[in-house]
Amino acid sequence: MNTETTTGEYILLFRGAHWDRGLSTDELQQAMDKLMAWFEELNERGKIKGAQPLGGQGRMIAGTDSRFVVDGPFTETKEAVGGYLVLQADSFGEALEIGRGNPALRYGVSIEVRPILAECPIFARHPELVRRVKESATQAEPALAELAA
Amino acid sequence: MSTTTTTDYLLLFRGNVWDRGLSPAQLQKVVTDWMAWFEQLKAEGKCAGGHPLEEQGKVVSGKQRIVADGPFAESKEAIGGYFYLTVADENEAIEIAKQCPGLQYGSVVEVRPVADICSIKQRAEDYSKRELSGARA
Repeated sequence: MNTETTTGEYILLFRGAHWDRGLSTDELQQAMDKLMAWFEELNERGKIKGAQPLGGQGRMIAGTDSRFVVDGPFTETKEAVGGYLVLQADSFGEALEIGRGNPALRYGVSIEVRPILAECPIFARHPELVRRVKESATQAEPALAELAA
Repeated sequence: MSTTTTTDYLLLFRGNVWDRGLSPAQLQKVVTDWMAWFEQLKAEGKCAGGHPLEEQGKVVSGKQRIVADGPFAESKEAIGGYFYLTVADENEAIEIAKQCPGLQYGSVVEVRPVADICSIKQRAEDYSKRELSGARA
């Protein structure tokens, strides 16, 4: 991780993975065509760094010491993330406008737009500490290199 | 290198205020452990990348394309960052997630397989296939 705070990249998180329910075949076909056209147009403009749908199965891992593993998230819910798209954009405003152009919004999808950072905000709240950790990591590097060899 | 197939998984880190109330020593340990964990996964070729997300963002929804502030800045559910994993199977992804140094302070890790094809696109294709076969019958 480097110390830059901005990357020029933004992530769109698509929530609500079942917006196709209740659409007729024609409506669904039209929606998919519009969606693919939206995606292709962005791709041609070089705005897309990566995009993937996520599988419905998953696990949630939590817990202090027992570290339990549970099924989830419940992808039937409107809040579950169904996929993501990483944008290269000039500003947050541009990323937001791209998100607003998504044709699936009218069918109930919601899109979370978030700037991607180079440095974790939790770490950024404690800059002195991170500096010390990095310094000691640099000093320990010869030993680490030996281990990796 | 063996020729075993790999599968991609996304780890979503939830909770963005778990550092509150930690002592400097605890913080130092979790920062050190997290950085070492990330670097080791990358060195092993199991993590293709990962990034934290800025706390502020916007949520767009509805036919009117309403833009609202969000996600809630201080929330146990908010996604704070992600790792992209390339591993042998789900068990390996889960085992990696269980090593997350933030877990003991309340961070939650969501493990999700990355899909080849969008499930909605798949359903759309299935519908039109069914319709075509229905039309032929």
